[in-house]
Formats: sequence, C-alpha cells, structure tokens
Amino acid sequence: MAFATPGLPLAAQVLFAAPLAALAIGFFYFHFRRPRDIHWLFLASCLAVTGASLRLLLEVLGGKVWDETIFRWLIIGGSSIEFGIRIDGLNAPILAMVATVSTLIHFYAVGYMRDDPGFSRFFLCFHFFFFSMVGLLVSHNYLQMYLFWEGVGLASFLLIGFWYDRPAARAAAWKAFLVNRIGDIGFLVAILVMMGWGGSVRFTELFAGLGLLDPGIVFLIAALLFWGACAKSAQFPLHVWLPDAMEGPTPVSALMHAATMVTAGVFLMARSWPILQYAPGLLSVLAVVGAFTAIGGAVLAGVQKDLKRILAYSTISHLGLMFLSLGVGSLFGAVFHLITHGFFKALLFLCAGSVIHGLGAHGTVTTDETGGLSISLPWTYAAFLVGALSLGGFPPLAGFFSKDAILHSLLVGGHAAGGPLGLLGSGLKAAGCLAAIASSYYIFRMLFLTFLGDRPQQTGRSAHAHEPGLWMQVPVFLLAALSAVGGVIGSAGLLEKVLSPLASAWGPMILVASSEVSAPFSWEVAGVGLAAAAAGLVAAWLATMAQSDWDWTWRMKHPGLERRVAGELGWQRLAARSAGLVSRAAAFVSWKWEDERWDVWTESLADCFTGLGEGLSGISRGILNEYLWWMLAGSVALTFMIVLCF
Amino acid sequence: MSSSAWVWSVSSLLFLSGMFCLVWRRQLLAMVLGLELLINAANLNFIYYSGVWKDAQGLAVALLVIAVAAAEVVVGFALVITLSARGRPAETDWLRDLEG
Repeated sequence: MAFATPGLPLAAQVLFAAPLAALAIGFFYFHFRRPRDIHWLFLASCLAVTGASLRLLLEVLGGKVWDETIFRWLIIGGSSIEFGIRIDGLNAPILAMVATVSTLIHFYAVGYMRDDPGFSRFFLCFHFFFFSMVGLLVSHNYLQMYLFWEGVGLASFLLIGFWYDRPAARAAAWKAFLVNRIGDIGFLVAILVMMGWGGSVRFTELFAGLGLLDPGIVFLIAALLFWGACAKSAQFPLHVWLPDAMEGPTPVSALMHAATMVTAGVFLMARSWPILQYAPGLLSVLAVVGAFTAIGGAVLAGVQKDLKRILAYSTISHLGLMFLSLGVGSLFGAVFHLITHGFFKALLFLCAGSVIHGLGAHGTVTTDETGGLSISLPWTYAAFLVGALSLGGFPPLAGFFSKDAILHSLLVGGHAAGGPLGLLGSGLKAAGCLAAIASSYYIFRMLFLTFLGDRPQQTGRSAHAHEPGLWMQVPVFLLAALSAVGGVIGSAGLLEKVLSPLASAWGPMILVASSEVSAPFSWEVAGVGLAAAAAGLVAAWLATMAQSDWDWTWRMKHPGLERRVAGELGWQRLAARSAGLVSRAAAFVSWKWEDERWDVWTESLADCFTGLGEGLSGISRGILNEYLWWMLAGSVALTFMIVLCF
Repeated sequence: MSSSAWVWSVSSLLFLSGMFCLVWRRQLLAMVLGLELLINAANLNFIYYSGVWKDAQGLAVALLVIAVAAAEVVVGFALVITLSARGRPAETDWLRDLEG
C-alpha cells in the first residue's frame, strides 16, 4: 500500500497522508468534541503539504520525474486501473501554488469564519476540497483524476451552499453542481472511450500509443475532455454557475472559485496536451471559446455592482485567456498565468472579504455600500492595489509577466501570427488585447468605486469599517507579496526549465515547437501589454473618478440596459429555461414510463408470487405426518436425481 | 448370506420400520421411538464398516450419534410431558397450529 512504494519520496506520501489523517481525526474527534479547535489540525496538514510540495518542486527542478503506481484499484479482465502519483514539470509548480495559496486561505478562513456556528463543518469541507485538489493534480491516470475531479465538485457544492438557510445559496449550489455534472459527463465518456479504444487511461501509456489510434477517436477524446474542462473552468456556454457561486463564504470563493478549482479545467487541457496535438482543429475551437469567454467575462465584470461578482466575471475572463493561450499553442503562457492568477485573484478575493468583514456585512457587498474605504481600511487598500496592478498587468508585478507571455504567443507566436489560423489569428490577437484593456478597466473601476471617491450614492465613507485581525491580514500581505514577485517563476526561467523536459519527452509535436514552452521577453509585446493596462486604467479613472457618478447615471438613464447586461443578454435565462425544459421532459417521460410500463410489470410479477403462495398454502394443513410424507417424497426424488445424474 | 448382507438387511428393516412408525403413527411418543429406530439403523452401518475397514472413525461417529440421539430423546420426551402437563393430547391431529 501507500507506504510501501519504494520509488516515492516521503514528500510525495505526505501529500495524501497529511490531509487524510487530518480529515479523519477532524471528523471523528474534533468535529464532535472540540469543534472550535479543529483549524489547528488542518493548518498543520496544510503546512506539511506546502513543505512537501516545495520540496518536490525543487527535486523536479533538479530533473526528477515520478510516475509510480501505489496500488491496483480495479482489475477488469486483463487490464487494471491503478492508483498512483505522477509528479513532473507540469504539476509540480501548480501543486506548489495550490498548496501555498490554500494554506494562506486556510489561515484567513480562521479569522473570517471564527464566529460562524458551522466553523468545524466549514473546515472539514474546505480541507476535503484541498485534499481532492492535490489528488487531482498528482494523479497518474485519467480515472483517478476523475475521482478527485468529482471530489472537488462535491466540495464546491457543499461550500457554495454552506449557508444553507439562504435560498439563494441553495439554488447556487445546485446550479453549480448540475452544470458541472453536464461537463463531467463529457469527461466520463472520454474516459470510457480511452478504455474502449485507447488501451489505457494512464497518461504515459495512452500518450505513447496515440499515433497508432484512429485520428477520429483521438479527436473524440480531446473534444470530450474539452467539454469537461469547459464546465469546470467556467467557459462559455457552461460558465453560468460561477457568478452565482459567489453565494458561498469569501474564502471559498477565493480558493475554489478563483485560484484553484476552476483552473482544474485548464490543468486538464494542459495534461492532455499530447492528445490535443493530434486534434489541431480542436485547438482552434479552444482558442475561439477562450477568446469569446475572455472578452465576454471582462465586459460583464465591468458593469457589475456586487464586488464578488466583479471578481467572478474577472475569473471567467482570465480562465478564457488561459484557454486562448492553450489554443494558440502556448502551454507556457497558460500554466504561467494559471499560477500568477492564483496568487493575485486569491489576494483580490481576500481583500473583498476583508471589505465585507470590515463593513459587518453578511455574504456580499455592492458598490452602493462602499466608497472612500481607503481611510478606514488602509492596509486592505494597499493590498488590493497590489492585486489590481498585478491583474491589470503593470510591470513588474506577476500579472504583467504572465499576461505578457500570453500576448507573446498571440502576437509573435508562430501558430496565431500569420500561421495556419489566418484571419482567425488576427481576431484572436485583437481579442487578447481587448481582454487586457478590459481587465485593467474593471479592476481599477472596482478599486476606485470601493476605496476612493466621495460619492453621494455610496454609504461606505460613513460606515465606520474596521480592519480585520491578524489571522486575516497576514495571509493577505503574504499573497500581496506573491502577487508582486510571483512573476519571477516565469521570467527567471524556472517554469521554462521544468516544462521543456516534458515537451521533449512527449516527442515531436505537430503544432508546437519546443520554444513554445517559454516566452522570450520582447519590448514590442511588453509595450502592447503596458499600453493596454494604461488604457484600461485611464478609462476606469474617467468613468469613476473624473465623472464620479457615471456608474449610477447610466443605470438611471437606461434601466432596461442594466437588466439585460446583468442577465448576459438573456443567456442566463435561456440556460435556466433549457435546463428546466430538459428536466421537465425527463420527469414527464419517467412518470409516463413508471405509471404505464414499470408499475404494471412489477405489479403483475408480484401478483404471480402472491397467487403461487395462496395456491400452495392449501397443502400445508398443519398435520406433522403429512409434512413428513412430503419430506420423504422429496428425499426419494433427490436421491433418484443424484443417482441418475452421477 | 454374507455378513454384510445380514447387516444390510437388518439395518434396512430397522430403517423402514422407523420410517413407517414416523410417518403413520399419530402419537408423538411413537414418532420419537421411530426416530430412534432410524438413527440406530444408520448407526449399525457405521459400526459394521468400522470393523470391516479397521477404522476407528466409524466407532467414534457411532458414539457421537448415540450421544446426540440421547439428547434428542430428552427433547422429544420433554415436549410430550409438557403437552400432557397442559392437558393437551400428544397427538399430531391436535397439534395443528401451523395450518396454512
């Protein structure tokens, strides 16, 4: 079993052992006996996993790769499905980011959830998510990954609906769960196709045999995996659950619905990179869906009033950027942005949480209740500023470098720039630049509307907000530091160093030269990025500071417009209606089926046995000698049968 | 007639009379006696073949069967006595509570 695998270092075993032990002790002892102290257990587990993941990252930097089977999980005929760990250049840096951010948000959550009656329940679910996320990242086959994929989905459901006495939270939890289920069907069918035709679900074995498979099958697998990734990573048209998911507590939004869980889809695509190479048409779909989502999310983020919904749409937009990056052939840009986005988006969410906490609000806060908070919340303001500059793409913060990598792959990368994509390539370039401008716009709009200004429409200035305690402030500062300097992992060649051995191990790629696992710095691209960021900042300044009440006046003038934009031009309603239609149709069919077929059939079967019993009851008259006669006859018959047969 | 034929004849006779007794007689006491005959018919074979094959296992089983039969007789008589004590005749015609 786990501890008897000689090939795995202690650090890799800690990844599973620490969270499992913490969850078991927490559930069976602390949850019932000492629920207020449960966080110590999970903080210790988080720190252990973080230490282990950094240690593993160092080893991977040294050129090590592990792909070890721990035990056989299922044996089906001649083939078996194994449970194992793979740690390589792709997941080691992501794992380190996930563990670090999770640990910081666990600390933050102690302060944020301190007074909640469900404190221990929250931490159990939260840590279960962490365990599943780590498992998802280090799986060495698709089926195991799917198991943890469902694990994070379950944790997401439980935590969005954490405040289950609120109808909106319950509805959001179900929405997230059901939309993710739609995507999971795609992932599941992909796994079944792999088992049926691909020969194996283990990454190494499947990728090695890809060239021998029917191209149609490979395309099918890639498309189904993409379908699964779309739901988890909130890509159009399956993004509808993410904005509503903000009904959960803010640490949940920060960790799961911004920094880690929603990037699982991007990770899945990156993991399936060799498969995507055999489905070049699909890469273009990836790029187009990503570009559309990036722009759509950014535009919608620019008109929201709810702080957490602004950030939710921003997350959708940035996930779109990652898909766009993958679609134009830059694995490097996607993974780099995934990591830096994890830092700065977690930071921004935690700052929003500090604002909500500081204003004493329960759940969420809109721009009507903020304004001028930089006076009462100076530290939160400073941290938010770092996050905003990073997300907006200002040098030398982390977001600048990762966005630069994506822009680089768009503007000068071979695939998009005049490559096979042609006119589509030009559209993608424009989309990338537009998304960059819009990112900078909406985040500074949020910053100005939250922390600066003195507008009559806002109540923030007179609300006497207070800074949160150290439990919440220290993680925020540490995340601010990471958002500021996190860019070094890409710009100093660390990410390039761990990704390039992978690219060579995967063999010749159809689309992507090995140079696409890095993005050399170029002044032109940096200039475009910086210009986009500055343009967004100026636009935000004009819309919220120079004309400080514009955000309210246009809503007054065009009341219908706001409603339509908030409803995503009717898309949300269409999605809800079609889901309702499908479920009602299914209910009708199953009701008809049950009433007219199933019930009739089962009842007549039951009637058979009742009749048989009633008929046979006549022979049992209660006379012992008769029973003995029957017994004798039975014995004689049995004896004859045995004699005749053998 | 060889000795094994004698043994077979006697044990078959015992078995059939036991069976007859068990199936036809209505008195519980007689049915218990019939059971004893059945058991002893089987036991006879055990003892005979233990001698033929020079194997003590047959004797051991016979002893075991005698012990079990003794216990079974105790249970059977206890039933008969309990029924009599309650004033009910120990005959199967009167014991029809399990009628379907």
